[in-house]
Amino acid sequence: MSDRTASRLTRILTMLPWVIEHPGATVDEVCERFGYSRKELIRDLDLVFVCGLPGYGPGDLMVAYVEEDQVVVDTADYFARAPRLTAAEGLALLASGMTVMATGQGSDVLASAVDKLAAALVPDGYEILTVDLSAEHDLADRLRTAAAEGRVVEVVYTTLSRGDTAKRRIEPWTVFTSLGNWYVSAYCRESQGERIFRLDRIQRVDETDERFEPPASPPEPEVRYTPSEEDVTAVIRLQPTAFWVSDYYPVEIVSEEPDSRTVRFSAYDASVAAQLLVRLGAAASLLEGDQVRVAVDDLRSRMLERYSS
Amino acid sequence: MRNVLERVLNLLAYLLTVNRAVSAEEIRHTVAGYDRDNDQAFQRMFSRDKDLLRRLGIPLETTTSGALEIEYGYKIDPDAYRLPETDLSDQERAALWFAAQVVRIGGQPTGADAILKLGGSQLETGLEPFAANLGSEVDVLAELYTACAEHRMVTFRYGGSERLVAPHGLGHRRGHWYLVGSTERGIRVYRVDRLSALEQGDPDGFTRDPDIDVRRELDTQPWEAGSEEPVTASIRFSPDIAWWAERRLGREPLTRTELPDGSLEVSIEITNRAAFIGWVLGFTDQAEVVGPPELRRAVVHHITGAA
Repeated sequence: MSDRTASRLTRILTMLPWVIEHPGATVDEVCERFGYSRKELIRDLDLVFVCGLPGYGPGDLMVAYVEEDQVVVDTADYFARAPRLTAAEGLALLASGMTVMATGQGSDVLASAVDKLAAALVPDGYEILTVDLSAEHDLADRLRTAAAEGRVVEVVYTTLSRGDTAKRRIEPWTVFTSLGNWYVSAYCRESQGERIFRLDRIQRVDETDERFEPPASPPEPEVRYTPSEEDVTAVIRLQPTAFWVSDYYPVEIVSEEPDSRTVRFSAYDASVAAQLLVRLGAAASLLEGDQVRVAVDDLRSRMLERYSS
Repeated sequence: MRNVLERVLNLLAYLLTVNRAVSAEEIRHTVAGYDRDNDQAFQRMFSRDKDLLRRLGIPLETTTSGALEIEYGYKIDPDAYRLPETDLSDQERAALWFAAQVVRIGGQPTGADAILKLGGSQLETGLEPFAANLGSEVDVLAELYTACAEHRMVTFRYGGSERLVAPHGLGHRRGHWYLVGSTERGIRVYRVDRLSALEQGDPDGFTRDPDIDVRRELDTQPWEAGSEEPVTASIRFSPDIAWWAERRLGREPLTRTELPDGSLEVSIEITNRAAFIGWVLGFTDQAEVVGPPELRRAVVHHITGAA
C-alpha cells in the first residue's frame, strides 16, 4: 500500500470534520489549513460525493462540493470528528512540544497547547512524560542571538581530548541539542571550516562588533561522526559489560562470539579511542591499532602519574 | 487509487454506523466496491483495506468465533474512532506544528498527520531550523507510552533477563529515554534503548501508585543510580576544567573547596561505584579521586586494567 493513499485518506478524514464544523469556509481557507491545492481539494470533494452508506442512492451518499467559492459538506455525520491520534503521533507531538519548552524557547501558547494535548491523551491527568535537556540557557540564548544577528563571537573552548583550552573566533549558525548535549554549529575562523562545538565546553562567550553574512541555508548539523580516510582505527574486543559501546558509537562489528564482541572503532583522533578504552578498563582489550595503543599508554601513564603521590 | 479510496470511505462509513460486528461476507455483499465473484480478489482487497485503516490508527476490532479463533466479525466503536475534544486554538496548533518540525525523535520529523487530525494549521513546509534530536525509536516509545496511559503491564528483556513491570512514565534525560515502573522489588528505571522483546498486557492491568513521581525518579546522576552502601567520595579537578566539572555535577556538592592553585575539590555521596568511576575517568588526567582510599585504589586498578 502506498504512502500516498494513506496520506490522501488522512487528509480527507480530517478535512471533512473541519468543514462540517465551519460552515461557509472558503476554498482558500481549507486549502491553506490542510495543505491542499485548489485542484486537489476539488478532486477529493468529487470523490467524497460518490461515497456513503449502503443503498448508495441520493439520500445515502455524502454531499460535498464547492459553491460560490465556499466548501459545502453535508450528510456525512459519521465523519463529523477526525480520527484519533495514533500512539506514535500523540507521543511524538507531545514530546516535541515538551522539548521546545525544555529548550527555554517555548511560548505561553505552546505551554498551554502541551497541557491541552496531554490532557486529551492521558485523561487521568498523571504526568507520564517528561523531557529534561539540562540546557545551558544563558550561553544558548547569547549564541542564538549572535547567529540571528550575524555577529562574530569569540569563545573560550576546551578540547577535552587534547586537554587544551583556546580562544576561537566563530560565526555561529545554529544552536541545537542532540542526544543529551547542546551544540552550536559554526564557521570557525581558526580552523577555516565548519565546526561543531559543545556548549558545555564553552567557558566564555564574548560578542564582537564584527558581522558576517549568514549562509542562506546552513547545512543541517550532524553530530554523528562520519568516518574519513585520515581517521585512526582500532580493533577492540568488548566483554559483555561493554557491549553498549556498539550501540552508542558508530562502530563496525567485526565478529560476534557468545561472550565477546569485536568491533572496529574509527575516530578523527587517537585520544578519543584511548579515552574510551581507559574508561572501559578490563571490559575491553585493544587487538589492533598502533596509534591508539600509543595514545592509551600515554593517557594511562599520565593518569597513573596523577595518582602516584 | 481512486477506487481504493472510494471503497475504504464506504467501508469506514458503514462500520461507523452499523453498530454491531459484521462478517467479511456481509461486508462483501453490502459495501460498494468489493468484488462479489472472485474470492481471492475480495480477500486481497479486504485485507489491504484493513491494513490501511489500521495504519491511520483507526480502531478496527476483530471478533473471533469458537476455539479456532477464526476472524469472524469486524467493528469500529465510533467513540474509539473519534479524536477526543482538545479545544486547541489555531495559535496553539501552529505552536505544536512548529515544535514537531524542529524536533527529531527517531530520525525524521513527524507531526503533519497529527496536526491534520487536530484540525490543521498553516502547513508551510519551509525548512525550520533543526533544534533537538531526542534519538530512540518512536514505535517503542509509543508502545510504552500507551502502556503507561492505559495501565497495561509490560514484559521485556533487559540486561539478560525477563522483566515484568507496571509502567508509570517515560522521560528523556541526558540523551536517553527512560522508563519508570514499579516491580515486585520496588521502583525501577530502565533505559528504553536497552530493552527488547516488549509485550504489553490488557488495559487496566494494574493500579497506579500515586506516590511515584516520574520526574523525581529520573533526576539522578549516574553515581546515584544504584543501591550500594553510600560512600562520600572526594574529587579534585584541575584548574582548567574546574568550571566545567562543576557544571557537570548538576547539583550542590556536600563540600566545595577552591585550592590556592585554582583546583577545585568537591565531595559527593555515591551509591553506584562503577558508574562513578566511569564518570570520573571521562575527565582523563584532569580529575583525581582523592578519597576514600579504597575508592581511589579502585580507580587506579581500573586504569591499570585498560586495554
